[in-house]
Amino acid sequence: MTIQEIMERSGLNEESLAIAYIRDALNLINSSIDEDTKTWYRDIIKGSSTVDNYYPFPPDMIKLRTISIKDTSDDKYKRIRRLVEPPVVVEDVSP
Amino acid sequence: MSFDTHKNWTFNIYGKQVRIWQVSSGSTIVELSGYKIRLPQDYIGKQLVYPTENITNGLLFTGTASVEPFVEEALETTTVIASGTTISFNDDGDSAVGYNDIYDTGDGLADFTTGDKIRVRGSTSNDGDYTLTADAGGSRYIQIGTGNLTDEAAGARVTISQIPVETTTPSVESGDHVNCTRMVALAIVDYIKSQIAERAGNIELKEYYIKEFWGKVADNSSNRSVSGIVVPRATYAVI
Repeated sequence: MTIQEIMERSGLNEESLAIAYIRDALNLINSSIDEDTKTWYRDIIKGSSTVDNYYPFPPDMIKLRTISIKDTSDDKYKRIRRLVEPPVVVEDVSP
Repeated sequence: MSFDTHKNWTFNIYGKQVRIWQVSSGSTIVELSGYKIRLPQDYIGKQLVYPTENITNGLLFTGTASVEPFVEEALETTTVIASGTTISFNDDGDSAVGYNDIYDTGDGLADFTTGDKIRVRGSTSNDGDYTLTADAGGSRYIQIGTGNLTDEAAGARVTISQIPVETTTPSVESGDHVNCTRMVALAIVDYIKSQIAERAGNIELKEYYIKEFWGKVADNSSNRSVSGIVVPRATYAVI
């Protein structure tokens, strides 16, 4: 359906506002159901005293479905589970 | 080398970031004849540690996103499809210097036209999305820009389907479409009506249209549900 047809059916005359509402509606749909799914890959970097284990979410992701880690022994991505509670982090000063 | 990552890795969420943890046994593990053996000394129980190795593309997020929300043509009109085992790919092909060609000796490419966006599936090394720069070959071949294809002989069952061309600057003037099914488009109409009602201060009407919106979204989702088929099998069937 064209943007113009949507505007005519809804009785809205402002084009930029209509486009903004359409984006809002699509975001609302994607935050509730899996209408448009997408995958993102990131490199895992070995942790050290200067490299932590924080990885930002993809900026365009609306809703997270799963997180998987590559099993290099068989080249398959395997879904990992979420920790119920954040861990108590203690620095190991003499590893 | 990472192994059994579904058992040995976990995560937790910190705002807009995720923390990846590896579950460590807290003792030394050695590999002997392909078997991983945990040495008994110094065992201190399970603990979480930072990732212990670099893994290229090791982290995979799956989620929803607003994928190409606006397109130049209606979803319902992108119906051209070609499939067969007679399709081959030529890097810098024979039809013209500087072009990549997709050939079909079965002459099934007649309906594709210049500017179409296509999705290739089933090939050995050319799966992906492309834009046609010419369809000069009629039904025999189509051309895309140079540097995109890998030479591949016919043989694999390849499917080429037309997909909508995205526009990043949608406008009424250019006749752009919303990239969704008609049912979702009708739901969007209800959403806009609800927003108009809210601006007018009519909360009751807004609630009505929001219900209509979610009803159509649910209808759209349920239309895609697939019913399973249960096949009875004999007591001693081997499957």
